[in-house]
Amino acid sequence: MVTKTEERELNELENQVENGGGGVWEYLCLVRKLKVRRSEIVLKHGLSILNDSGKRSSLGPDEWTLYEQVAVAAMDCQSLAVAQNCIKVLQKKFPESKRVGKLEALLIEAKGMWEEAEKAYSILLEDNPLDQVIHKRKVAMAKAQGKPSLAIEHLNKYLEVFMADHDAWRELAEIYVSLQMYKQAAFCYEELILSQPTLPLYHLAYADVLYTIGGLENLIAARKYYAATIDLTGGKSTRALLGICLCGSAIAQLSRGRNKEDKDMAAPELQSLAATALEKEYKQKSPAKLNLLSSALRSLKLS
Amino acid sequence: MGTGTNVELKYEISQNAYIKLVLHSLRHKTAAVNGVLVGRLSPKDEGLVEISDSVPLFHSNLPLLPPLEISLVMIEEHYVAQGLSVVGYFHANERFDDVEVCGVAKNIGDHISRYFPQAPILLLNNKKLEALSKDYISSEKWKDVIDFDDHLDDVTKDWLNPGLFN
Repeated sequence: MVTKTEERELNELENQVENGGGGVWEYLCLVRKLKVRRSEIVLKHGLSILNDSGKRSSLGPDEWTLYEQVAVAAMDCQSLAVAQNCIKVLQKKFPESKRVGKLEALLIEAKGMWEEAEKAYSILLEDNPLDQVIHKRKVAMAKAQGKPSLAIEHLNKYLEVFMADHDAWRELAEIYVSLQMYKQAAFCYEELILSQPTLPLYHLAYADVLYTIGGLENLIAARKYYAATIDLTGGKSTRALLGICLCGSAIAQLSRGRNKEDKDMAAPELQSLAATALEKEYKQKSPAKLNLLSSALRSLKLS
Repeated sequence: MGTGTNVELKYEISQNAYIKLVLHSLRHKTAAVNGVLVGRLSPKDEGLVEISDSVPLFHSNLPLLPPLEISLVMIEEHYVAQGLSVVGYFHANERFDDVEVCGVAKNIGDHISRYFPQAPILLLNNKKLEALSKDYISSEKWKDVIDFDDHLDDVTKDWLNPGLFN
């Protein structure tokens, strides 16, 4: 996961690089460090370094890391010939290397030769059964072939061993959501909240899923998690503020005719605080949309 | 989405509405994206749906309700002043060769058709996108498209995309 500061730094560097302002190597290192997916730009600028023998030799031993980075970026952009060439260079320099072997298997996968890729990965796993990257490639292949249940199966097995891999839990949650399996997605977010309770992202995602499942109890719980998100972000999460208003409206609808003294359900102060905070934010940052927001909030109160 | 009448339904989509959706798909090539179609039943021909605009919605967690509900409320509020409403749904699948209309698309399409019975679901043919996109990719216009996801992350970003075609 990338923080806002890191993202800003990355985007600034990217703009600089794309507009001919230099800083290519710095950018490529940052992309590697943050593990983000910027394949077209990496391919374009990485190749320009590799194709210039002067620039290439000034990299020293980092030259090989760049070949690897460009190979992967090329595969993501379906420039398989470029990838093949980079891998050839690495094969020559590091014969018998397992790391290069991974790239070869990745290339087979990029060509869509699923069975051969499966075999190649299995062989690599025999030597190193705890290689997380290769396990994840199996999930990726299942997804690419349109077999989400198989992806889920692989991912669940992976998480039995690597249960601290937060990215994997998030990926699993998102696959479940895409299949509208909300209860299973909720379970994943519960695991994430347990292991990293101060990350607002998980509280927010959990709240969204609970709201989507619906029902009075889930709506009340969702509201609590939206409130937690607001707490953890110092009130800056627009999504959470809107979530409070949506919950308030839905809860009011569902509890119509019930015992009005039930304190759990009515939270008028919370709702009006959220509405005020939203209006303040829009007034400051998006005044053209303020009227729209206000009438949207009004219609939520009425519905 | 049928009507009860015997009139054959035709749909007309404006160039800008169409291009906006294509640009949105190009901007988020590795994800499923969706959007709504905005327009009205033609006052001259009740068998013609005029789609004059579109609003790109999301590029992550498409099935989740809270962002969807808020976006639909705001979009309706905005367009009702122009005599327009949400008249259809657009969806582009994550995978290149996936031509299925998934559960999410059907659910949202059904929801929209409850308010506008003639609502179509537009599914992007990813394979044809390749041929279409050469012009748009070189102009890099797709970098400027804002969707509702972007707006919810930063309200200064405008989902109406006012300057997109200038």
